[in-house]
Amino acid sequence: MQAIAETKTGSAHPTLLLWLVVGWAGFFILPWYGVEDSVFTFGWLFEGYPLDDDVAPGFFQGISGKKGWLLPHLIFLIGPIFALNRPRSDPLHAKILIICGALGFGWLIAQGFSIGIRGWNFGWQENLFGPLGDRQFGMGTGAMLVASAFLFILTQGVAARGAVNGDIFVVGAIGFVITIVAIFVFYPIFNMLTSAFVTQDNSYSISVFFEKFTDRRLWGLGCLQGGRCGAAWNSLVLAILVGMTTTVLGLAFALVVTRTGFRFKRGLRALTVLPIITPPFVIGLAIILLFGLSGNVTRFVADIIGIAPTRWVYGMPGVLIAQILAFTPIAFLVLIGVVEGVSPSMEEAAQTLRANRWETFRTVSLPLMRPGLANAFLLGFIESMADFGNPLVLGGNFDVLSTEIFFAIVGAQYDQGRAAVLALVLLAFTLGAFWAQRFWLGKKSYTTMTGKGDSGVHPLLPKGLAIPVYAIVGIWTVFTITIYTMIVYGSFVELWGVRNDLTFKHYITAFSIDFTQEGVRKYTGSAWDSFWTTLQIAAISAPLTAAVGLVTAYLLTRQNFAGKNSFEFGTMLSFAIPGTVIGVSYILAFNVPPLEITGTGVILVVSFIFRNMPVGVRAGIASMSQLDKSLDESSLTLGANSWQTFLNVILPLLKPAILAALVYSFVRAMTAISAVIFLVSAEYNMATSYIIGRVENNDYGLAIAYSTSLIIVMLAAVGLLQLLVGRTNIGRRHSRPSSKN
Amino acid sequence: MLNKNSKAASVSFHNVSKVYGNPTTGVRAVDDVSINIEAGTLVTLLGPSGCGKTTTLRMIAGLEMPTNGKVMIGDMDVTNLPATDRDVSMVFQSYALFPHMSVLENVSYGLKFSGFKKSEIQDRALAGLNLVGLEGYGDRLPSELSGGQQQRVAVARALVLEPQVLLFDEPLSNLDAKLRRQVREEIREIQQNLGLTVVYVTHDQEEALAVSDRIIVMNNAVIAQDGTPRDLYDAPANRFVADFIGEANILDCRIAAIEGGEAQVEIEGYSLKLPARDSHVGSALLGVRPNRIVVGNPGAANSLAGEVVRVTYVGNHLELTIKTVAGDLFATSDDVDALLESGTKVSVTFAKNAPVLLKN
Amino acid sequence: MKNIQKTLLVAAAVLAASTSMASAAKLTLYCSAQEDWCQSMARGFEEATGIDVNMTRKSSGETFAQVKAESSNPKGDVWWGGTGDPHLQAAEEDLTEPYVTGMRGELNDWAISQATSAGDRTIGIYSGALGYGYNADLLKANNLPEPKCWKDLTKPEYKGHVQMANPNSSGTAYTTLATMVQLFGEDGGFDFMKALHKNINQYTKSGSAPIKAAGRGENTIGIVFMHDAVKQAVSGFPIKVVAPCEGTGYEIGSMSIIKGSRNLDEAKKFYDWALTAVAQTRALEVKAYQVPSNKGAETSPSAPDLSSIKLIDYDFKKYGSSAERKRLLKKWDDEVSTLPQ
Repeated sequence: MQAIAETKTGSAHPTLLLWLVVGWAGFFILPWYGVEDSVFTFGWLFEGYPLDDDVAPGFFQGISGKKGWLLPHLIFLIGPIFALNRPRSDPLHAKILIICGALGFGWLIAQGFSIGIRGWNFGWQENLFGPLGDRQFGMGTGAMLVASAFLFILTQGVAARGAVNGDIFVVGAIGFVITIVAIFVFYPIFNMLTSAFVTQDNSYSISVFFEKFTDRRLWGLGCLQGGRCGAAWNSLVLAILVGMTTTVLGLAFALVVTRTGFRFKRGLRALTVLPIITPPFVIGLAIILLFGLSGNVTRFVADIIGIAPTRWVYGMPGVLIAQILAFTPIAFLVLIGVVEGVSPSMEEAAQTLRANRWETFRTVSLPLMRPGLANAFLLGFIESMADFGNPLVLGGNFDVLSTEIFFAIVGAQYDQGRAAVLALVLLAFTLGAFWAQRFWLGKKSYTTMTGKGDSGVHPLLPKGLAIPVYAIVGIWTVFTITIYTMIVYGSFVELWGVRNDLTFKHYITAFSIDFTQEGVRKYTGSAWDSFWTTLQIAAISAPLTAAVGLVTAYLLTRQNFAGKNSFEFGTMLSFAIPGTVIGVSYILAFNVPPLEITGTGVILVVSFIFRNMPVGVRAGIASMSQLDKSLDESSLTLGANSWQTFLNVILPLLKPAILAALVYSFVRAMTAISAVIFLVSAEYNMATSYIIGRVENNDYGLAIAYSTSLIIVMLAAVGLLQLLVGRTNIGRRHSRPSSKN
Repeated sequence: MLNKNSKAASVSFHNVSKVYGNPTTGVRAVDDVSINIEAGTLVTLLGPSGCGKTTTLRMIAGLEMPTNGKVMIGDMDVTNLPATDRDVSMVFQSYALFPHMSVLENVSYGLKFSGFKKSEIQDRALAGLNLVGLEGYGDRLPSELSGGQQQRVAVARALVLEPQVLLFDEPLSNLDAKLRRQVREEIREIQQNLGLTVVYVTHDQEEALAVSDRIIVMNNAVIAQDGTPRDLYDAPANRFVADFIGEANILDCRIAAIEGGEAQVEIEGYSLKLPARDSHVGSALLGVRPNRIVVGNPGAANSLAGEVVRVTYVGNHLELTIKTVAGDLFATSDDVDALLESGTKVSVTFAKNAPVLLKN
Repeated sequence: MKNIQKTLLVAAAVLAASTSMASAAKLTLYCSAQEDWCQSMARGFEEATGIDVNMTRKSSGETFAQVKAESSNPKGDVWWGGTGDPHLQAAEEDLTEPYVTGMRGELNDWAISQATSAGDRTIGIYSGALGYGYNADLLKANNLPEPKCWKDLTKPEYKGHVQMANPNSSGTAYTTLATMVQLFGEDGGFDFMKALHKNINQYTKSGSAPIKAAGRGENTIGIVFMHDAVKQAVSGFPIKVVAPCEGTGYEIGSMSIIKGSRNLDEAKKFYDWALTAVAQTRALEVKAYQVPSNKGAETSPSAPDLSSIKLIDYDFKKYGSSAERKRLLKKWDDEVSTLPQ
């Protein structure tokens, strides 16, 4: 991105020249199609380069006569040369760039989609042009470079025409974000939408969709008569219950921390972080070990009361408990900010107007927390909808959409169409909830932070409320501590429930290291492969996620451009899409040319970036709106361009947001399962999918030991990130001049 | 030290408009404004909030782009040039000091992007700090300075770039009254010493009168009046300017005849001869400053009969409210010993050439 | 003289090594068995031959779809493991290469008959019989008799104690359904499934889940392939394996060479190696207790002895066809799964 920086000199266009050179390199030097090994091993140089079909650059592919459809790119790569010697104010400069960029990019996309592994991709093309007799595979480095060259040539043309104050960096960044969001969010979703209509012989039909959509397994209401209900109803009811319960619990926690004299607030906060960094399944497993048919608690209770143990935990109750445990902290984190944000002076005002504590809480505090409550509910709802691990372990006969989707793809049915239909239902639910939340909040203002000093104190909770709140928090706390004690204990037990001897066996199996006589280390533990891959992928995706998120936030808060609202919706959309849906749509979209990235590490990184980007965007927006806009403006009037401003002024002041985005995306990359399970491959296996494999294999000890290690690694990594990002010293915070706008 | 600025350039607007939102239905922040600011002068944009003065300033800076019209700095058309590429610096209302950089780093910031050598950046920045009287404060963080000191850093930071035009956006509004007077004098002094072109935005008329070579008063997106401080005070063009700059009594009157640029003005039997300006025969508006109202004994010839309804003693003068047939008048009198009290009958006349005919 | 000979030998060896390095022999293996078994086979072949193996593990259904999708540009060489149906289907659709290995002499008859029925395009590498296992501790705790036959499982005292997978999502459960239809006739088979339905506490998603739940004490009886039950028993869980008295169906895990393989020689090398006793004995290391097709391969003492089990004459062709499969599953969906429990 740094290369987008612009200069002040008249008709020299170093940025344009740079992207042209990139485009030429992509077209003349690097292999056009994806090579089997990484490009950086340079093995392709020895495989018949530059003429062999597999490794030839686009130019040679085209000139050799077989893939003539690649040659038009050349025209659009040469065209911009004529814009180089014209000043930016010359309308022809802009025109040339826009035409070459747009047509080049369009052609690249069009040919990529038209011609696939089996020649023409669409029947009408074959009818029109006759059979092709050739085919092409996924785009490689060459094609990627050419594509980005076209994109940035286009944005420079648009900037030269005066869009967004003629700012090359900003227009480029907007173009870049739009393009990647289109490719990695909209395209897969759209693609999945269409695959719901594909029949077995690859034609399209609406009846196929309805046949799958009206399936009894999806919408059946048998549970009302003692049978089983459809997965759609199950998911919906479960998600609503989870959303409501976690919101209430989260609120209780937030109230205890902010409005009581509770003495162990720090401990409570720490406890709520644990479930967030816990890999999936672990909570589910612990619940089985406690409440299953042979669980400790079950047996204990059965012995005392003398009733036969039952399998009550399998099904809705178990999933509900596990999800509440896992997602309450998220609601808490959302609500703590809101509860703290309610201005004490409003509550004090209410009290001086003769409202008692309870009335104040009911009529002022609670309504002002409405946006937070809505957000917390929405998050719980979506997390529950997308949750995959807990229903898998604890679901019993209680089918939910996320597991149904998984088994539609990997199970014996192998029915991608059904998976797509189910995913669509799931997506409709979450988007519906999103819409309902906006509707509920309406246009009322809930702003209570004025930026002015607010020296009041929050009133304590009314007694009638404090007691139940304490009770709820107490029960949750005891429960959580029990669960985590079980987890740690479980990782040291030989064979749970059968042989309860303490052992390090599981840790050794997972993480043993052998030293040969030369002192060479060999990672012989079975978990090392997935562990390193996970660390690597998380470490790569976290900074990228933060970068994309913050740049997007910068564009949203600091720049004005046409279509900003749709832009915002697009970047936030992936937040409402459950991971399972992302996973399915990614394998449907990226298993075939023009973008063939399934089975690579790239697809994992990409999925993490777009799954977690909305959090980076939100964090960025929140902290950027606290930065007075005159800071950037003064930097601009002092002669720095927008890229330099972003780098020198905004970024250093955004360190808390950067840290939040980094930590969140790192942790999510380590613990996510719902999308990952579809995207892993033998070479790029992730920790969570390894753990699920162990769980399926009844290797509870190993699974838990691995998870425990991951929790520790994540804690360490979070600490390390904090050190790396550091703090920006701005002296006394309160004396920063505040804006009067 | 910084030298007399040879780069100071003029600024001109040619029929500039700025519309937010839809070009036809959107909000017109600046409507068809043409101005010309000569090189080396300090010109103030004055007006109530929302009048378009800040938008005008930001269009000079390049932080906003005009919807229509042309902006020139010196001989160069900068209409579509972004802020980065204009040779203009700005002092913000909030100072916009970068909180994570030291004072010296703040002052050096713009120099870094102007292609100076490292040693020269240091020299110039230090010279800038000296100029505003902050030598030795280079290593502090902005948050460790007082408001007035922060303000001076902001000025130094803009000054060291020796810009063609220096812009101030309500630079004194965060300072207390005493400091405000001191700093504005310093600004004026630096401007005159260095021969800078300065465009200054404020909503404080006293401040505007004190520092400006010329004042452009704006109201509702258009220019209400453009002139020297004295012009504006003594001969406001219309009711808005008269009311906005200083205090004015505005009275309904009738113009009986116009003869050789002189208008015969009648107010309830009190007749005056005043410069006609562009008025026509018929009803008109008359503005008169409170200190130009002469209070005399009741029954004087060619005067307005009145009765004092309120007297307020404010130290160096008296403030009077006088009820007359032409309406309530607000007057000040330096004669603090005068025996005036509520109910005293008086006659009211205006000092010669004090009242002006106004456009509505 | 001797020295010269020695030198020459060394030189030849170095030369051989370097040429094999230069050609960088490699093999792309599609594996449809459990992950650790796949890894073990890939590493074993690499150690035995020095050929690099690039292994991808996917379920047999997925692999079939992938092979079909790539048929115009095959990327895989050998497809090893997974139940026989999709291998047979691939053979039918001409997606795999006929190959007659020299190893046939060492193989069990059922492995070869799998090959001949598919025109030599596939071959049996292991087989496993269907059955069930129970948690002996739980059975005792609930004072239940030990079941011996399929029909025993439908007795009312086992209500809420039996688990099987959902035939819609699991090949194992489909094999169970097909076995019952072949064993008791279509009507009798479905009557059995309906009676069994009353006793089922959960239809799991994955085929081996019922016995794993039994191992952990979360379920009493699980209908699974016997080798999966054996694995739990060997892991230390209190599982007893039952070969039902009426007889039972079975699966034949298969292997095929993909048509158009880019590394045909290496593929054949792997094919031959995978049928050796040594290679098949590796299954024990990963606790895969299927019956190996090589007569000489070692089996675990705890593995079920196929010869002692009454096997039905399973009609792979009929019940593997997708039409029959769809028909039976729909019938099960409509007539069995909707019944109240």
